[in-house]
Amino acid sequence: MADKKKRRRADSDSDSASQPFKNLLKSDDQILQILESFTSSFSSSSISKPLTLADLALSTTCREVSDLSLSSVQSAIESLVLQLTHQILSGQGFSFTVPSRSSSNQLYVPELDRIVLKDKSTVRPFSHISSVRKTTITAKILSLVHQLCLKNIHVTKRDLFYTDVKLFQDQIQSDAVLDDVSCMLGCTRSSLNVIAAEKGVVVGRLIFSDNGDMIDCTKMGMGGKAIPPNIDRVGDMQSDALFILLVEKDAAYIRLAEDRFYNRFPCIIVTAKGQPDVATRLFLRKMKMELKLPVLALVDSDPYGLKILSVYGCGSKNMSYDSANLTTPDIKWLGIRPSDLDKYKIPEQCRLPMTEQDIKTGKDLLEEDFVKKNPGWVEELNLMVKTKQKAEIQALSSFGFQYLSEVYLPLKLQQQDWL
Amino acid sequence: MESESPVETKKSKSKTPKKAKESILKQKSPAEFFAENKNIAGFDNPGKCLYTTVREFVENALDSAESISELPMIEITIEEIVKSKFNSMIGLVDRERIDEALYDDYETAKAREKRLAKEARAQEIQAKNAALGKKVKEHAISKGAKSRGEASFYRVTCKDNGRGMPHDDIPNMFGRVLSGTKYGLKQTRGKFGLGAKMALIWSKMSTGLPIDISSSMRGQNYISFCRLDIDIHRNVPHIHLHEKRDNKNKWHGAEIQVVIEGNWTTYRSKILHYMRQMAVITPYAQFLFKFVSDTSDKNVTIKFARRTDVMPPVPVETKHHPSSVDILLIKRLIAETSKQNLLQFLQHEFVNIGKPLAERLIGEMGPEFSPKMAVKSLTDQQIVRIHQLFRQAKFDDPSGDCLSPAGEYNLRLGIIKELHPDMVATYSGSAQVFEGHPFIVEAGVSVGGKDVKQGLNIFRFANRIPLLFEQGGDVVTRTALKRISWNNYKINQTQDKIGVFVSIVSTKIPFKGTGKEYIGDDISEIATAVKSAIQQCCIQLKSKIVKKMQAREQQERKRNLSKYIPDATNAVYDVLKEMAKSNSSKKKRYEEGDADILRKVSDHLITKETLTEKLTQHVEKVDYEMALEYATQTGVREEPREDIYLQSLDDKDAESVICMNHDAL
Repeated sequence: MADKKKRRRADSDSDSASQPFKNLLKSDDQILQILESFTSSFSSSSISKPLTLADLALSTTCREVSDLSLSSVQSAIESLVLQLTHQILSGQGFSFTVPSRSSSNQLYVPELDRIVLKDKSTVRPFSHISSVRKTTITAKILSLVHQLCLKNIHVTKRDLFYTDVKLFQDQIQSDAVLDDVSCMLGCTRSSLNVIAAEKGVVVGRLIFSDNGDMIDCTKMGMGGKAIPPNIDRVGDMQSDALFILLVEKDAAYIRLAEDRFYNRFPCIIVTAKGQPDVATRLFLRKMKMELKLPVLALVDSDPYGLKILSVYGCGSKNMSYDSANLTTPDIKWLGIRPSDLDKYKIPEQCRLPMTEQDIKTGKDLLEEDFVKKNPGWVEELNLMVKTKQKAEIQALSSFGFQYLSEVYLPLKLQQQDWL
Repeated sequence: MESESPVETKKSKSKTPKKAKESILKQKSPAEFFAENKNIAGFDNPGKCLYTTVREFVENALDSAESISELPMIEITIEEIVKSKFNSMIGLVDRERIDEALYDDYETAKAREKRLAKEARAQEIQAKNAALGKKVKEHAISKGAKSRGEASFYRVTCKDNGRGMPHDDIPNMFGRVLSGTKYGLKQTRGKFGLGAKMALIWSKMSTGLPIDISSSMRGQNYISFCRLDIDIHRNVPHIHLHEKRDNKNKWHGAEIQVVIEGNWTTYRSKILHYMRQMAVITPYAQFLFKFVSDTSDKNVTIKFARRTDVMPPVPVETKHHPSSVDILLIKRLIAETSKQNLLQFLQHEFVNIGKPLAERLIGEMGPEFSPKMAVKSLTDQQIVRIHQLFRQAKFDDPSGDCLSPAGEYNLRLGIIKELHPDMVATYSGSAQVFEGHPFIVEAGVSVGGKDVKQGLNIFRFANRIPLLFEQGGDVVTRTALKRISWNNYKINQTQDKIGVFVSIVSTKIPFKGTGKEYIGDDISEIATAVKSAIQQCCIQLKSKIVKKMQAREQQERKRNLSKYIPDATNAVYDVLKEMAKSNSSKKKRYEEGDADILRKVSDHLITKETLTEKLTQHVEKVDYEMALEYATQTGVREEPREDIYLQSLDDKDAESVICMNHDAL
């Protein structure tokens, strides 16, 4: 908190003209009080143990994966390979039974507030022209993961792809089969020792250990700390933050990091620079579970902003088999919300007209369960589709580059204006 | 200006003579008008003039032969005439240049120096490239731009086996612009009877030579020969020679010969394209095209053989549809009608008005109209009232009976003959209506073929003539490019060789622009009909393409499956090998059946080859089973065959052309 002095408080009189609503701001101490009371009420309310699939008596059986130890992954692969060998030797060719990850096999469970995978699977025989490629790739990935298990090392998805570029053709194919394999073996993707390249970054009042090294995220410079891809080596989280601020865009993140927003209002700032990767989602969930902090999201006021929010919140369809580990429940939509456009008098030239595609995506989102369950979100989305206008976080820069960190966010926090 | 008194005119004339000249009211004959605005009729420049002349002659010849239901046989010859020959033809002595500097193409000393330097540089670069072993680009022989004096002249001759012309009508048919036989409401190739006359006007403008016409009608024992040109100012023929000659071969038809300025070099491909496309749309005609010049390597002779003797019916002249007429036309019909009263006039001069409807219409016109009133006594106001009612009242659509589409059969034959595609589908739409004029859209879509470039190749026909210019704005081009999602029909718009043929026939083709070269994209009725016709073809093709893909899959299944055997066995064997290691070192315990396998792996009793062999056997078995299943499903199917047309051998120039049976793909 001593760092507070670092920030030069701008002269409020001269700025009030160009930065509207600044005069509405109360002193930082008052805002902090509001936040503290909110956070304490939040952490006490969320003490109850989160529901799991097993707690629910669902009519359809659902598939979920769990973290498995390396040795159990290894034996799972080995027993599968032995099965294949028996099949081949008996002259029947071979085939895999792969859980289907198509959208028809997805189910939104309102009690859990996330998407889960139903139990439909497809058979992938080698001797069929339409599946021979995928079957071969699946066998190849299994053998590669088996090697990783033996050697106990981590590789990236890119590494995996480059082991046989000729067979995989492009990384999308090997990545897709990798998800199939984790589904098939019933383990999370991280248990396969395959990681994605670092994408997410975190900055703010958080201390954690990464592979044994203690990291203080207030002392990571402007760029912050890259979120480590293997979450199993992250631990010992400590923080005095009052909330976690989830930011969609890199630009807004840099603004907040440079202004050291987390020192004015103690918080942890996270971004995945667009669509979140697995590591960031795992990290966010871990922070939320261990630190018991509310998560506030700052995304663009367009259908894709909301879509990104939904991926953090209830999971993507592609990874729904592991939604239990990847989703962070109860994320609050702080901004920029469609109603903010008029509320904060964002000038016309900073708003963009929505394209046909945008409007269609917006309307589709209105049909999604995770939007419907939150009446406030439905209202905002309806407003967006009606006005046919969208705006990025950067639209706030029309009032000055620091308007976001100096007026907009503090005011939002003061008014507890989230949904 | 016109109100100025003659005295004033005279006065101003003395001061500013130029200005005064404008005030003289002049009259132009139609021939003069077209001579000055020849681009209206497609005579823009010498090259285009040659093209349009050929085109007009061919189309007239076809119309003529079809009008007497004779299978058309048309010979068209373009003979290049060099300048000296041309001069001798018109009796002009070739003169040597004496004052070189007088001419436009005279090269000054400075220009010559510059040119030589440039040529030397070019040669140097070429030599360098050759030394480096680079691929030397074929250096186009730089021909100096043709100077103004160096015009090329061509004698265009077109001979047909059509109706011919009555002896006494010939001078007026060629020597008077805007007189013709094609003014009725009927589907015809030409519309204004302008073409041959324009060729004559152009020959008069560029060479000054007259036109030669020979003609004979069926059963006539003489040939009319007529040499004439046109008096442009008075729009009357100027006859040089008009006589009857012997008709020994009982020939009927017409032969027209004209000498004009043209440009074969730049319009060669256009003219050949035109002939080729004409052959596509009229496979029942035989064309012999010749280009003759003094340099024999430039000569071209192409014969487009007849492929069928099925000819579309002769289009019949029809009456006007009430919703398509204007006030002037109503007046003309009134003047020409033989009917006495209004009721009969309505009933007989228009299509789709029966007696009850005519009575209802007259009742609706107002109290001053009655069925029995004399039609010739109608006042101007009353005619306007009739016109208004025609515009607003609802009439049945005109039927397409008066139209003569090429027919799916002919279209298909033409496409197969000229493009040799891998597959083709055709579709003929039903008659539809645009502003009271019936029209029919026929389409063909082909895939593959020889001499077809990748992507869309669009062939447009209007009233069975090919349209070659201004493709970009045409309704067919735009529809094919923008409104058809080829992907849906398993056709790759950029990779496949797609031929799109659309033929539109109508009593009135709504051409855009002056040259009658394209149909606008703004008529939604036509645009919709074109789109659905192309789509219908694509739907037919899709099932064929899918079948073909299945067949190919059948053929390649074994290869495609076997391709993956090494990768799959490697992957499995790698894991087995590791397991065998840990099994033998007792690191891990396996169940008995599994342990047995692993032991065999360690002892090399089960190797990569064993797995490969087993998998290969399996693939072979599966392939055999599936091939059997495919065969039982599809059965041994005989593809439908098409009728063939064999040219009769007693044809006087019996060709060695043998028409092969084309499987209907």
